[in-house]
Amino acid sequence: MTRTLHGHPTHIAWTTTCTLLALVIGAKCTRAAEATSERPDPIADVAPLYPAEAAARIDSSLRAELLGDADATAPRCDDETFLRRAWLDVVGDLPSPEAITEFAFDPSSDKRAALIGRLLTDEQYGQNWARYWRDVVMYRRSDERALLTSSAMVVFLTEEFNKNTPWDEIAREMITAQGNLLENGAAGLIAAQWGEIPETAAEVSRVLMGVQIQCAQCHDHPTDRWKRDQFHELAAFFPRIAIRRIVNDNGGRRGFELISRERVRRRGRQPIDDRQGPEHFMPDLDDPAARGTLMEPVFFVTGEEMSTGISDRDRREQLADWMTSPTNPWFAKAVINRIWAELVGEGFYEPIDDLGPDRECSAPATMELLAEQFVAHNHDLKWLFTTIMLTDAYQRQSQPRRHYDETPFAANCPQRLRADQLFNSLTAALEIPDSQEPQRPQRGRPRSPRGALAAVFGYDPSEPRDEIAGAIDQALLLMNSPQLSLAMEARGSRTMLGRLISEMDDNQDVVVELYLRCLAREPNHGELRTCLKYIRDNDNRVEALEDILWALVNSTEFLYRK
Amino acid sequence: MSSTFYRRTRVSMGRHGVWRRRDFLRGVSTAAMAAGALSWSDVMALESARLRQRGKACILLWMQGGPSPFETFSPKPGHENGGETEAIDTNVPGIQIADRFPEVAQVMDRLAIIRSMNSKEGNHQRASFLLHTGYAPTASVKHPTFGAIAANEIGDAACELPAFVRIGRRIPNAGGGGLLGAEYDPFVLDRATEPPANTALTTDDARFRRRLGLLDRLEEQADDERIRQQVADHQKLYQQTAKMITSRDMQAFDLSREPENVRQQYGEGEFAAGCLLARRLVESGVTFVEVGSTGWDTHADNFPRTKELAGQVDQPYAALIRDLERRGMLDSTLVVWMGEFGRTPRINPRGGRDHYPRAFNVVLGGCGIRGGQVVGATDESGADVAERPVTVHDLFQTFCTSLDIDSSIENMSPIGRPIRIVEDGEPVSELFS
Repeated sequence: MTRTLHGHPTHIAWTTTCTLLALVIGAKCTRAAEATSERPDPIADVAPLYPAEAAARIDSSLRAELLGDADATAPRCDDETFLRRAWLDVVGDLPSPEAITEFAFDPSSDKRAALIGRLLTDEQYGQNWARYWRDVVMYRRSDERALLTSSAMVVFLTEEFNKNTPWDEIAREMITAQGNLLENGAAGLIAAQWGEIPETAAEVSRVLMGVQIQCAQCHDHPTDRWKRDQFHELAAFFPRIAIRRIVNDNGGRRGFELISRERVRRRGRQPIDDRQGPEHFMPDLDDPAARGTLMEPVFFVTGEEMSTGISDRDRREQLADWMTSPTNPWFAKAVINRIWAELVGEGFYEPIDDLGPDRECSAPATMELLAEQFVAHNHDLKWLFTTIMLTDAYQRQSQPRRHYDETPFAANCPQRLRADQLFNSLTAALEIPDSQEPQRPQRGRPRSPRGALAAVFGYDPSEPRDEIAGAIDQALLLMNSPQLSLAMEARGSRTMLGRLISEMDDNQDVVVELYLRCLAREPNHGELRTCLKYIRDNDNRVEALEDILWALVNSTEFLYRK
Repeated sequence: MSSTFYRRTRVSMGRHGVWRRRDFLRGVSTAAMAAGALSWSDVMALESARLRQRGKACILLWMQGGPSPFETFSPKPGHENGGETEAIDTNVPGIQIADRFPEVAQVMDRLAIIRSMNSKEGNHQRASFLLHTGYAPTASVKHPTFGAIAANEIGDAACELPAFVRIGRRIPNAGGGGLLGAEYDPFVLDRATEPPANTALTTDDARFRRRLGLLDRLEEQADDERIRQQVADHQKLYQQTAKMITSRDMQAFDLSREPENVRQQYGEGEFAAGCLLARRLVESGVTFVEVGSTGWDTHADNFPRTKELAGQVDQPYAALIRDLERRGMLDSTLVVWMGEFGRTPRINPRGGRDHYPRAFNVVLGGCGIRGGQVVGATDESGADVAERPVTVHDLFQTFCTSLDIDSSIENMSPIGRPIRIVEDGEPVSELFS
C-alpha cells in the first residue's frame, strides 16, 4: 500500500524511499488522511517522525531513563561488523566479497543508512522475516500435521513483508484466515493449534500481543492479573473454527482446510472433530464431565464484548478489529519488542513474548515512544526496521550477554544464527545452489537440505537466547556431513574452493578470500600467519586449503552474528 | 552466557553440607591438588564416592500421548468404563493387567505397578514437561529433564558416549539440559535402526585431528572478546564430539552386531529396536536412555489403536527386562514405563478416551525396585484414586532413591534462584521393601 506524505512538493511512495527518508534528518512528516481507508485513526496528536529523527529520540530517551552518561556504553561497531550484522539481520544472508569491498571503499558518511534502505528492498528481507515468524508459530504447534502449512506461511508472509503491508493488516489476515492449509499461509497461526480452542486463543494472544493469558486457563493467573473467566472469554471467539480433511469425489485425501464450522457440510467433506459445539464452555473444575459455563466472547484487554450465537467469521473479524486497534497497547509493543530483541540482542521485556500487564519493561518511556510512532506510521514494519537500525543502540559494538544486574542496551549482543541464516551462510560461503524446496512437504518424505539443517540447528525464536547453545549433533553436522564435505573439496573446478585455487596462485590471497567469504572480514595478522604456516607444514596445498575452509565453517564465529 | 556462568559458580551445599560431587572434584583437580593441599589418597577417597555410583542407569520407555490405564495396567473388565478390554493373569498371583500385554504379564514378578498416580496437568505439553522434569513448565525457570539430572549426577565421566540419549522421532516437550546447560541436552537419534547421522569421519583420522588442531589455533588467534564465552563452549563441545566419534564405543549404536536370536527376542519395529539399542548403550556406560513410543493419544478408536500400540511395546518391553536380568544389569538399571497422563474413564462417542490426569499408571522395574507388587488403586469406575495416592513429586523422589541421587541438591537458575532436583514429596518406600 502506498502512503502519501505532507510537506513534500510531490507525493512520494514510502516503501521505495526508505533510503532517502533516512537521510532527511530532522524533517517531519504527518500522515495524510486517506479517503479510501477505514482503518481507525492512530493516536491523533502524535506526529510521525522520519526514521533518523525517531532513532535519535530513542537514543536520547534511552540515555535519559537507562544509560545515563555515555561512559558505560560500548562504542559504535566498525564497518565490517556492521555490514555482516545488517545483512544477517535484514536479509538473513552473508554479504558477498564484492559487497564487502564496495562497502569498505564507500567514502560517504551515510552509507549505513543507505545500506539499510537497500537491504529492505531486497526480496530476501521478506523471506528472512517470513521464516522467522513461521518459526515463532510452528515451534509451538500442538499437532505435527500443522507443518503442512509451513511453506504456504512463508510464501504468504514473504509477499506481505516485501509489499510492506502494515502489520495490523497481516495480523488481521491471520486471525480471520480460512481455507486450504497448503495454499493459504495466513491460516498458519490458527492451524498450528489444529482446531484446539483454548490453545488457539492462547497462541493468538501470545504471538500477536505478547500476553500469556493461557496460565489462566485452569486458575486465575498466578503472577498476572488475568482471571480464568477472561481466558475463556477470549477462547469464546474461536469455538467454531475447525480443521477438516479435504476429500475429493473419489474419496482420495487432499490435505486439510481451516473452516468455519457453521458452513453447510458438503458431500464428501467430513469434519475432523465433532466434539465441539458452536459455543465455548468454561469447564467446571470440580466436575470435568459437566458441560461447564457458557462463555460470551469478550476481549479481555478492553472489555469489549459480543454475544453468543454469532458466526465464526463475524467473531474473528471483530476480534481482529479490537486486537489490532491502537487502543490495545499490547499489539504494537509485542511486535516492536520482538524485532528490537532480534536486532539489538535483548528485548525491552524478557522473555520477549511475555509483556504483561505486570511485567517489567527495562525502558518504558522508550518503548512508549516507539509504540506511538509505530502506530502513527500505521504499523509500518520497514519504518520500524529502519528506525531501530539507525539507533546507536543497534549500531554499538557487541559485548557478551549482560549479567542480569547490568544495564540493558549498553551494547549490542552476539546472536546465534537461526537455522535459515546458517543455511544461507553455508550456501553463500560455499556457493552451494539452494535447491528448490518442495512446494508441498509431506510427512515422511525426505527433507530438503534446508529442512534437514533446521532439524538440527533450529530453535524456537521465543526462547531466551542465552539458553540456546550448541549440541553434539550440530557439531557432527558441520564436521562430518558428506554434503558439506563435498562442497568444501578443492579438486576440480566444480566447487568454490576449486575455482579459487585455480584462479589464485598466492596462498595469502586464497586465505584472505576464504575469510571474506566465511566471516565477512579479513584475517588478522595472527590468523594469516597460522594459516600460511599450516599450508607450508602440509605437503599438500589443496588439502591444506580444504582444512582451512573446514576450520572456518566450523568456527564459533561462523555460527554467530556479532 | 550467564547461565554458564552460574552453572559453574554455584555454591551448592547438599543436605549433608558437602559440595556437589562434580564441583568438588573439579576443584580438587585444579586447585587443591596443585597446591598440595590434598594427598593422593584423599583424592582417591573422594573419587570412590563417584565410583560407587558407576553403573547405575535408567531406561525410560515413554508412551507419548498419554496411555489409557484401562488398556494397559489397570483394566476394569467388570465395569462399563472398562470397555471391551479384558484382564489377564500375570506370573504373580493376584495381579492382572490388560489383555494387550501378554509378554509383560510373564515378567510381572520383576515389575511394580503404581496405579494411583495423579496430577493436575491435562494438556500434552505441560504434562509431558511435568513428567519429564518433575516441575510444571514456567517461563522463568528452565527445569532440566530427569535424563539431564541423571547425566549430571551419576553420569560416568569415563564414558565416551553421551550420558543421555533419546531415541525416537521428536518427543515433544520432553525437556533438555535446561538450567544445567546444553551439554546435558540429550543426544537424539531419529531411528534406532540407523547409525547416528554424521558420525563417520570424512577424512582419515590423522587429518581429522590436524583440522581440529587448526580450528583451535585459529579460534585462539581470533581472540574475540565479544564471543569469548561462546568460543569456550564451542571448543568444549567439539572436544566432546571428537572424542565420541573416534571412540570404539560407537559400535554400541550398531544393532547388526547383536546376535540374531537376541534381536528376535525383542521383535520387530522401531520401538523394539529402540529397546535393544537402549540395552547396548547402557552396557557401554550410557546413564540415561529414553525410548519413545508415539500415538497413545487415543481420542478416537481407543480399543483397536491401543491393541496395535501395545503390540509394538509388549514384546520388546518384556524382552528388555529379561535381557537386562540375564546380563546382571537389572539390579543397577531402573526401567520406567510411563506417559504424560491417563485417559477418561468414560468412553466418548468416537470410541475414544480423552485426557485424564486424575488417575494414571507408572510401571517401574530394576535397580532396587521389588517386583511383583501393585501400589495404590483406583475406585471401581477408574475415575478416582481410592488408595495410596502418588504424586509426580513422589515418583521423582522414587527415581532418585533408586538411582542414589540426592534429591535435595539444589542447582542454581540463571537469576540465582536455587532449584531442588525434586521440590517436594516422599519416595514410595514400599517399592524398595
